[in-house]
Amino acid sequence: MALLQISEPGKSTMPHEHRRVIGIDLGTTNSLVASVISGSPAILIQDDKSNLLPSVVYYSKNTVQVGNEARDHQSNDAENTISSVKRLIGKTIDDVNQVNFPLNLSDGDGVINIKTSNGMKNPIEVSAEILKMLRTVAENNLGGELMGAVVTVPAYFDDAQRQATKDACQLAGLNILRLINEPTAAAVAYGLDKKSMGQFVVFDLGGGTFDVSILNLSKGLFEVLATHGDANLGGDDFDQAIVNFLNNKYKLNIKDIEVQSMISILAREIKESLSNKKEVEILKEINGKEIKETFTQQQFKALVNDLIEQTLKATKNALNDAKLSTDQIDGVIMVGGSTRMPCIQEAVGNLFKQDLLNDLNPDEVVALGAAIQANILAGNGQEDILLLDVTPLSLGIETMGSIVERIIPRNTTLPIAMAQEFTTYKDGQTAMIIHVVQGERDLVDDCRSLAKFTLKKIPPMVAGAAKIKVTFQVDTDGLLSVSAEETTTNEKASIEVKPSYGLSEDNIKTMLQSSYDLAEEDKISRALAETKVEANQLIELTQKALDADKDLLSDSELTSIKNDLKDLINVLNSSNNDKIKEATKQLNTKSEPFAAKRMDRSIQKALTGKSINKLEF
Amino acid sequence: MTQNYFELFNLPEKFQIDSVKLQENYRSIQKEIHPDRFATSTENEKVQSMIKSTQVNDAYQTLKSPTKRAKYILSLHRSVEKITLPPDFLMQQMEWEEHLEDIEKKIKELDQFKLTINKKYEEYSLMLSTQIDNDQNWNEAAITIDKLYFVEKLLHKINIALN
Repeated sequence: MALLQISEPGKSTMPHEHRRVIGIDLGTTNSLVASVISGSPAILIQDDKSNLLPSVVYYSKNTVQVGNEARDHQSNDAENTISSVKRLIGKTIDDVNQVNFPLNLSDGDGVINIKTSNGMKNPIEVSAEILKMLRTVAENNLGGELMGAVVTVPAYFDDAQRQATKDACQLAGLNILRLINEPTAAAVAYGLDKKSMGQFVVFDLGGGTFDVSILNLSKGLFEVLATHGDANLGGDDFDQAIVNFLNNKYKLNIKDIEVQSMISILAREIKESLSNKKEVEILKEINGKEIKETFTQQQFKALVNDLIEQTLKATKNALNDAKLSTDQIDGVIMVGGSTRMPCIQEAVGNLFKQDLLNDLNPDEVVALGAAIQANILAGNGQEDILLLDVTPLSLGIETMGSIVERIIPRNTTLPIAMAQEFTTYKDGQTAMIIHVVQGERDLVDDCRSLAKFTLKKIPPMVAGAAKIKVTFQVDTDGLLSVSAEETTTNEKASIEVKPSYGLSEDNIKTMLQSSYDLAEEDKISRALAETKVEANQLIELTQKALDADKDLLSDSELTSIKNDLKDLINVLNSSNNDKIKEATKQLNTKSEPFAAKRMDRSIQKALTGKSINKLEF
Repeated sequence: MTQNYFELFNLPEKFQIDSVKLQENYRSIQKEIHPDRFATSTENEKVQSMIKSTQVNDAYQTLKSPTKRAKYILSLHRSVEKITLPPDFLMQQMEWEEHLEDIEKKIKELDQFKLTINKKYEEYSLMLSTQIDNDQNWNEAAITIDKLYFVEKLLHKINIALN
């Protein structure tokens, strides 16, 4: 960690320091890391000069390998070679079809457990290994510790999958600036390249997930109008179609993990060859059986026609939600390695009757967009762009008869908070179970269950008299928190929860600490340094805020903030971590109403020159 | 939130709204206060930007949708009561629903039906602007809002069937 440079508050004339930030595309098949270097986004290259890191982790008794090295074990030690872990993250064992995974999977109390020679691993830990590797690549390329990262997720990921991805980042020691949606990231990469305006479709078919987003681009604003997709549809399924065909024809023993793995590899080779050849000939021996086959593009198309139709249907649904028709679309951006398949290009081209935008490398475009966004969030960039994304799936709670009552509909712009009132159905009822679900279907069983919690200490009343206000809040990472309170009495019964999936905050902290294995002294000095950085930043920014807007404060408010500011400056040079923290918190709390007033002023400023009559907020 | 949504976006309190101006002003505000603008800011600014940005989104969603906008105007003038739709409209609803079931797979009929329902949508919207902006007849408007809401949902179903 660099030494702290403490300057007199308000006199900081240091030019703004360039912060080291990265964008990560954590993919089903491959992962990439990118950063904005000298003004343009670039993929960061690994030691072996490759830009793609295969999302494969290999566990042996004492070692962990990631990437190409790990993939080499796929055919000889399939059970310990974990690929496509993105298809398992944030899921329970009941959500996955185990036949598709040549691994030993079991239920691990809310998460999936994967049995390896290195012990039980869950998808969060496996993903963290990939992220750690990317972090190392980035630190080597950029020459130092990272300030933060923007990590992409499929737009159609649900709350559990997003939270699990965030947990994996934390486990990998990455400071998450934002989770952003893959299609939106791709649009950013294209938008900046072309200074585009209008309505755009991003068609993103990756290795294991499919997203389609409709965006409006105007003057640096990327507004997502609608998103649709399938978090379980991707290139892997196109491979699987070939696997099934071969199995049916040659009666191979797919129960055997090694055989299953060999056919999967063969299927992928066939698919990839067909992306630039009209036909491909196969001659291979698997499990003592000779496989001799000639595949043409036409044959392949017939095998995967249902999958193609699914992507088109989702695209039409997204257009419908955005209230647009195909002829109102100004451009179609193709993203994800699977869009290289000629049958996909043809189908999407036919639907929109226009040439597709695919001049940026479909494997790289998401990471590049994430890097641009990271650069903006860190305050490095001059670009004036803003992303307004949406909830991909409706959020609601279970009501009588296992019916879902929607609280936040899908395609609502983030951040958002919405509330709904419910009541008790029994006389004297003092508790209420709140079951949070996500999905578009009316019945609870058809939706994804996110959390279940109980609001207790409701004052006893006759049925229907209590008013339970349930509030859902979704932040800019697309993550949900829920609160519930009884509002008719002063004795407030209330509860606030953030759904967690198998791993608690404490779990992650313990795992993190053990992975760092720092000496106790190091931990203390590290913590103190971090506290000081935060305090110093608060001092500087508060001073700036006062310089700009102190007229918003009354004399007493101003004095009070100044006093807290002085207190913080006074304790800053001590080495008392707790005191600095306390003073930081004090100043933060005291400045909150000031921050609110400044925000109101920003709103006013935003509309100046547009004849303000009366503006208070 | 204490402020009127129309004042927030600097628009007159009317059902007939300048949707271009609404969108422009919404965007200008979000560009200033969105949490992405405060990613490296102090904790208190992060919190405040999240709160304001959320409120602005909520206000925008409300004014953008004709039914929500109309309901919002009514809520400023009249206490919320349960509305009973007239029996002839309830009959009409059932007929429309049945008709949609009958023609679910027939593209030509669906297109025709969509035109009919679109006309109804226009008709109720126009009716609302008279009831709200000219007559300030909140009780009549409340009924029309429910009709418009039903027609809006029906149109959505027709569009899904058309896909």
